[in-house]
Amino acid sequence: MELKDFEHDMQRCSRCSYCKWIPYENQQNMDFIKGCPSAARYNFHAYAASGKWNMSYSFLQGRIDYSDAFQDAVYRCQMCGNCDVSCKVVQDIEPLEHMQTLRMKFVEDGQILPEHMLFIDNLKKEDNMMLAKKADRGKWAEGIRVKNLNKEKAKVAYRAGCRYAYDDELWPIVRGGLQILLDAGVDVGIWGDEEVCCGGRSYQWGYTGEIMKYAEHTMEALKAAGVEILVNPCSDCYQAYKVLYDKIGRKLDVEVLHITEYLHRLIKDGTIEFTKEVPMTVTYHDPCHLGRLAEPWVHWKGKEVKVMGQMICHEPPKKYRRGANGVYDIPREILKSIPGLKLVEMHRIRESAWCCGAGGGVKEAYPEFATWTAAERLKEARSVGAGAMATACGWCKRNFLDAMEEGADRIEIYDIIELIQKAM
Amino acid sequence: MALTDIEYMALEDCVGPENITREPAILDTYNQCWGHKAVFDQKFSTRPAAVVLPGSAKECQAVIRVCNRYHIRFKPFSSGFEIISLALENEKSILLDLKRMDRIIEIDVKNMHAVVEPYVNIYRLQREAINYGLTVGSIGAGPSAGVIAGSCCHFGAGTTMVSTGGLGRNVLGVEWILPTGEIFLTGSAETGAGWFSADGPGPSMRGILRGRSGANGGHGIISKVSVKLYPWHGSPDLKFEAEPGRPPSAKCLTQVPEMYKTFVILFQSQDQMFEALSRIGRAELASALMGALMFPYGEGNDEQWQAIQEMREAGMNFTEVASKGVALVIGAETKRGLEYREKCLLKIAEEMGGHPLPLPPSEQARFFSAATWHFGFVTAAFRRTGDFFVSPTGDGSPDMMLNLRKEAERLLQPYMDKGLLQQLGTAEMFLIPSEHSSVGFHEENVSFYDPWDADSLQALREVAQASEDPNGDFRRFGVPHLGGGLQVEFKSHVHQNWGPIYDHYDVWLRKIRDMLDPNDVGDWSGYIPAIFP
Amino acid sequence: MMLNEGLVKIAGGHNVLDSPDILNDYSGDMSFAARTRPRCLVRPGSAKEVQEIVKWANEENVPLLPISSGPPHFRGDTVPRVGGTVLVDLTRMKKIIRVDQRNRVAMVEPGVSFDELQTELAKEGLSAYMPLCPRKSKSVLTSILEREPITMPAHHWDCTDPFLCGEIIFGTGDVLRSGEAAGPDSTEEKWKIGNYQITPFGLSQFDENKLVSGAQGTIGILTWATMKCRMASSFSKTFLVSSENVAQLFDLMYPLLRSRQCDHCFILNDLNLASLLAKDADEIRSLRESLPAWVLVVSFEGNGELPEEKVAWQEGDLREMALRAGQLRPVTTLSGLNTEELSAVLSKPSDEPYWKLRYKGGCGEIFFLTTLDKTPDFIQAASGLASSRRYPSTDMGVYIQPVVQGTSCHCEFDLFYDPANKSETGKVKDLLSEGVAHLADMGAFFSRPYGTWAKTVYGRAAVSSTMQKQVKQIFDPNNVLNPGQLCF
Repeated sequence: MELKDFEHDMQRCSRCSYCKWIPYENQQNMDFIKGCPSAARYNFHAYAASGKWNMSYSFLQGRIDYSDAFQDAVYRCQMCGNCDVSCKVVQDIEPLEHMQTLRMKFVEDGQILPEHMLFIDNLKKEDNMMLAKKADRGKWAEGIRVKNLNKEKAKVAYRAGCRYAYDDELWPIVRGGLQILLDAGVDVGIWGDEEVCCGGRSYQWGYTGEIMKYAEHTMEALKAAGVEILVNPCSDCYQAYKVLYDKIGRKLDVEVLHITEYLHRLIKDGTIEFTKEVPMTVTYHDPCHLGRLAEPWVHWKGKEVKVMGQMICHEPPKKYRRGANGVYDIPREILKSIPGLKLVEMHRIRESAWCCGAGGGVKEAYPEFATWTAAERLKEARSVGAGAMATACGWCKRNFLDAMEEGADRIEIYDIIELIQKAM
Repeated sequence: MALTDIEYMALEDCVGPENITREPAILDTYNQCWGHKAVFDQKFSTRPAAVVLPGSAKECQAVIRVCNRYHIRFKPFSSGFEIISLALENEKSILLDLKRMDRIIEIDVKNMHAVVEPYVNIYRLQREAINYGLTVGSIGAGPSAGVIAGSCCHFGAGTTMVSTGGLGRNVLGVEWILPTGEIFLTGSAETGAGWFSADGPGPSMRGILRGRSGANGGHGIISKVSVKLYPWHGSPDLKFEAEPGRPPSAKCLTQVPEMYKTFVILFQSQDQMFEALSRIGRAELASALMGALMFPYGEGNDEQWQAIQEMREAGMNFTEVASKGVALVIGAETKRGLEYREKCLLKIAEEMGGHPLPLPPSEQARFFSAATWHFGFVTAAFRRTGDFFVSPTGDGSPDMMLNLRKEAERLLQPYMDKGLLQQLGTAEMFLIPSEHSSVGFHEENVSFYDPWDADSLQALREVAQASEDPNGDFRRFGVPHLGGGLQVEFKSHVHQNWGPIYDHYDVWLRKIRDMLDPNDVGDWSGYIPAIFP
Repeated sequence: MMLNEGLVKIAGGHNVLDSPDILNDYSGDMSFAARTRPRCLVRPGSAKEVQEIVKWANEENVPLLPISSGPPHFRGDTVPRVGGTVLVDLTRMKKIIRVDQRNRVAMVEPGVSFDELQTELAKEGLSAYMPLCPRKSKSVLTSILEREPITMPAHHWDCTDPFLCGEIIFGTGDVLRSGEAAGPDSTEEKWKIGNYQITPFGLSQFDENKLVSGAQGTIGILTWATMKCRMASSFSKTFLVSSENVAQLFDLMYPLLRSRQCDHCFILNDLNLASLLAKDADEIRSLRESLPAWVLVVSFEGNGELPEEKVAWQEGDLREMALRAGQLRPVTTLSGLNTEELSAVLSKPSDEPYWKLRYKGGCGEIFFLTTLDKTPDFIQAASGLASSRRYPSTDMGVYIQPVVQGTSCHCEFDLFYDPANKSETGKVKDLLSEGVAHLADMGAFFSRPYGTWAKTVYGRAAVSSTMQKQVKQIFDPNNVLNPGQLCF
């Protein structure tokens, strides 16, 4: 879509500022009602989704041109989608899609953050978002005996994703996930060094070329390996494959699952059994890309029509993605099924979960903002009396760990994979 | 007209560089609001010369002093969600975004008042207060409306007015930074006695703070307010839920809180309905009250439209219910109180030809949420057609409000019949017996239009002009309420037009303004100018 | 008479009085305000005449002091502050213009007393919201304009209640009808479209009602006002709750106020309760011996749709609240007192002699606003002050009246004294001035500063004082209305 395609939505933003808060229906503890990290941190309205609408409209009207301030407001945003959920409580407009298109416009017109360019350049050369070498991508799996999908076929493909592939502190998680599958007798393989980025993060930053390239590559690789199920321990990757690829017309011909979804099946059918108690009070952080952003893509083609005089409807009816159909329950069911583990919820959960801070290119370009955002979440976790926080995304865990290094409230952070392992 | 570097730096010195901007990209996020297309013929109002984010009364004061020194106009706002809250009369003007001033200073539980800063919204205060068995009146702008904005600065009325009053009646004290930069604490706050009375010594200076409408940011900054709190009879634990897979907009209270009940009563005529509401007011029964808008809100417009069609097929007559139906909430401390109120209510309904509609618990809870917290109002106002407009409005006896209603229907119905405004069968109406009807009824007639549809916009402008014509059919129903961007002109200035026929109030208002703002630095676009343009 | 020729032309010769006796009577009152002879007394009979008088005063630079109530006066507000003042006696304007049962509103001229009004209202099944047993000659309009607290706090939504709308003649001589009373129609024409002058919100973006409230006639003179009334009670159930410790009563009063479901609700000490009910000093002394130190008076008025059930509900809730508040007991008889008798007393103005004068013949009042929980501290301080001046604190009546639905309260100390006793009189005089200063230092808010209090009070409200002076400049630039009063 083009920026102009959103003009009607721009006009209709009423400045209700719901985009700055989680929906009122979801507000429980008044200390934790903010939804947008950007608006919370930077205060000016430009940093909220409504502000993006305003800037775009002003840009289209020729009232403003590209500027540092414009770029700053656009990119100091994790693209977490909280604003989108809140806005759609009261409106039928698309803030997140608009912000995505705005970024694409920035990139198209060369308005690129130098920090991002570093990563994109490396992505183009080395197929990863970690400023690392492609050749090192498979090291995380060293010592694990597993099928090589470059040569062999397997029913299940297990993708580490860039973060897990290169962040050795997190290797126990990605290795653990694979090991659980292997121990469960799953016919699983990996691509090792030949694994490539999903392209999701670069897409979020406004770069559209890479995701298409990786989509084409992945489709071929999956077909060649005879894969039926693609399993991702990383929520970013999961969302890219499940939602973004469908969006760009490259819907994968395999079942795309997050590792929690697959493990949930194994737990339910008894393949995985818990034999140990894990006596912890744990809260669960919903990763944006497993939660609200993972709601399946909805293709729609039609037109606006008016009914009852002036009420704006669509023909055919348009189903908006309002964040309710992400993966929220499965991780919780897993946690609840672990013996001895007590789950306590934070105040902003599910479609209103506060972002960990790592997304949207913020961790790369504005690390201080990324850790500030994480610190806010850690504060919330502590406020509900949790001794540990569970999550299901490597980027989330990394950002929480980094924030604690910089002095944020401390709490144990576990990926769900780690907690499952503790209980086995 | 931009600020000079010296002027800008003087402002920057007040708040720090991170709390001020003159970047055009950011400035244009401060001049786009609902209603602008109707008033300015474009989404943009005047671009401010700068936006400033003060963090305290002291910073506000410093900024205002700079404004006085360099003759820069200023206008404060909190949520900025009112049609004219961002509108500026000229370009050498700054907006003060009070987002950083967001503290609840105190909740005095025993003496039932709360002191808050500008960015505290009504819902947040309500949710804090219900932990102590208290709540605060809310206004139609919904949960995000500022407490200060609603009580001190704007015309703002709401469904809770039946039991909480409104239109400035709940103000027990303000900290007011005048356009001169002086800080004025009213009443008991100034003497250090506490925040319980805004009035005196001697005459009450609330008289220059606001009237039926506020000054819309035109006479300084209200940096603190003390507002009355009212009883909350239910539990503080409120859970909003929806079926799995449904979004937050589908969430509702699972049930009406204990110690409350909700009714929708359909009368046989408007006359009977108005009379019944008078009796309900006299009997002091209701906690909240609104017109019975039976439209389901739906996840989105498409879902809403489908539900409307289904309900129509099932025999629901929206016109009838909207024009002759009332939803109300009753509450009490004890079961016997609740029983008494219910018995009274049903007695009145029966005697006045009204019958309660059978409502499933989910619908009862939905009406409860709408009436108590105005959930759904923002959706109704903006999602359906893009924008809404409130006029004509009035406050007065039920007889007078019934007359107003009939005139309003005469005005609006033809436009609805032609499809130029949303066709609801009848104009949507907000009708509340204020303070248990001891101060009359409050009425608002609402139009829903598409500002980006030329015909719909034209229709709305004709409605506005007709209802705000001092020589027209509505001239006897009171000065237009000034929450609808009137000063920012459909015609010439509202005070200029209406003052001469309303006891020349404009003369006094102008003098008050001159007194408060001798250097003319307060933006008058929502207030009164020093000289009519 | 030549001196007052202009006034004679306006009001008629028989309505301009300047005999020495009359001027002497109005030179002072029962307060300790310095005696000042007025120039004359003029008694207009219409709003038009009032307006002309004000215009005349501006032309002639003559100060005016509006009076609406008959004697005795207590607060110095009817004593001129400057020589040459013309007293504008509005008692001729005595019309009860309109009573509207359905909308519970009455429209009165300034000279209407509570006695007169109650009689008319009763015919329509209505009753006035009254302060505590006002004197018979008290002007209703003055009472509501001066923000005298009513005894039914649940119905007191805002400080100006029950005042709704009014016709105001400002110090310039201009007329403004407040709120919905303004507009293109005459008052009577407005009635035809259902405009009964019942909304108190102010006309546009300022609230003229608030500006003339508590102003002691310094901003404008009202020639009529509408006021809220309540439905008359077919019966009333009044309860007394007693305690030796006033603070204990708050444990019941606070939940009552919060629930908004009581009618009369106030606290009196033994002396004030006895003074209300007894006829003379001996009876008062005798009665108070049997009364507890503090009594909370609560009533539930049987009116409306289901009067008996309403009262039954409220009584039931009261008893539960009382139990929770430490086993307090609401009773309908106390020490031979029957609350029906009290209820009857509360429903009308005071019988003669005015109840505050029965004990000793004289009464000096100190009253202010505070919050209920702070009143024990003020009571202690007042008692302490009294003792320090050797004024028997047992001669001090106390009245605590929640206002604005219980968000604050009017706290009143009535210092009874024998005017013929110089020593007593002197003590009370000193206590009044010293007391105001001391209590203000403690946080008492003197929202209605009468007489000599003004200096003390405005000394603590400098910005308010400045603002009010500026407002005064707008509405009375020549300072003809009651100069020297308040901060003007």
